Amino acid sequence: MWLPLLGLIFGVVLGILTDIQIPSVYENYLSIAVLAALDTMVGGIRAQLQQVYDDKVFISGFFFNIILAAGLAFLGVHIGVDLYLAAIFAFGVRLFQNIAVIRRLILTKFENRKLNK
Amino acid sequence: MKVVRRPKKGGNWKNKMMNSDNNNSKQPKQKSLLLSRKYIALLIVCIITGFIIGFSYNLSKDKRTLSSASPQFEQENQYREDLIAKKERNKELAEELAQLEDKIRAYEKQFSSNEAQYEQNRQDAEQLRLLLGLSAGVGPGIKITLRDGDYNPNTTNPNEYIVHESHIFKLLNELKIAGAEGISINGQRLKPNSYIICNGPVITIDGQQYPAPFVVEAVGNQEVLVSSLELSGGVFDQLINEQIVVTVEKSDLIEMKTISDE
Repeated sequence: MWLPLLGLIFGVVLGILTDIQIPSVYENYLSIAVLAALDTMVGGIRAQLQQVYDDKVFISGFFFNIILAAGLAFLGVHIGVDLYLAAIFAFGVRLFQNIAVIRRLILTKFENRKLNK
Repeated sequence: MKVVRRPKKGGNWKNKMMNSDNNNSKQPKQKSLLLSRKYIALLIVCIITGFIIGFSYNLSKDKRTLSSASPQFEQENQYREDLIAKKERNKELAEELAQLEDKIRAYEKQFSSNEAQYEQNRQDAEQLRLLLGLSAGVGPGIKITLRDGDYNPNTTNPNEYIVHESHIFKLLNELKIAGAEGISINGQRLKPNSYIICNGPVITIDGQQYPAPFVVEAVGNQEVLVSSLELSGGVFDQLINEQIVVTVEKSDLIEMKTISDE
């Protein structure tokens, strides 16, 4: 259970320690990547709590979402429309929904435990 | 048929139960493998997510530090500080200059009091300084006012009755020839290297703009100055000929600032 959390911390440290400069043109992609990653992670936690977790779906969703969002942003940059906003919107809404579901699941679990006692 | 069916249904249901039971019983056996696979997937995703978050944090931090200390801003600051330093230095030097000039004058006075022949030199020096505008011109003199002529509806060209810089040049040259010691226009002391430009209705003297009327003050021998200007066919006649209103007044005390006061 603690392994993913450790992995997260490890990743954050790694990211802070890396000293790569990327051109400012690609910062849109980065923001989308952050959102996609967060969305997938929260989605995975929700699936785990609902006991429908499937690692294949999880992994493929992670990479596919990131690639799709980046592709959308790329297209948007090239046709002059801020298409990445669509990705941000979709991911943001889903993030909030997933977090709400997680909250409810945890709350019900908590209450069940209380009732059992 | 009916009889056969019922047990079948029941069997199916039982089978389902059995299957689910089997699944449940299988899980503990595969648990370690399943868990490890699951965890590895989760671990990879978590590491990547963390990496992206950390990376973008790092990036935005870099940008923040960059924007607060952008090269242009720094350069501007640098220039401003330089300018202030230079101005202060200038002020110091100007003060030093004034002090030294006072000293020199004191020395000269000392010398001249000692030796009579130096008196003449000192006076000459004072005269020259007046001309250069380095010492305040105080004394009797004349005040000449040049005013634009009245509006004349018969002439369409206003150039025919306004004061031009050429008129002022004429006046100044005449004054200098007549021995004016110090000259100022509208309060601006003239230096030997002053420039005067006609700039439409105004004239520019050493970068300062002045509108008409122009008050030219000259320190010097009043009689000589006035009579030299009033020669027939001289400056006044020429000016009046060109529709300019000229007034002269003698003044017993005309004061002019030194150049460094301005």
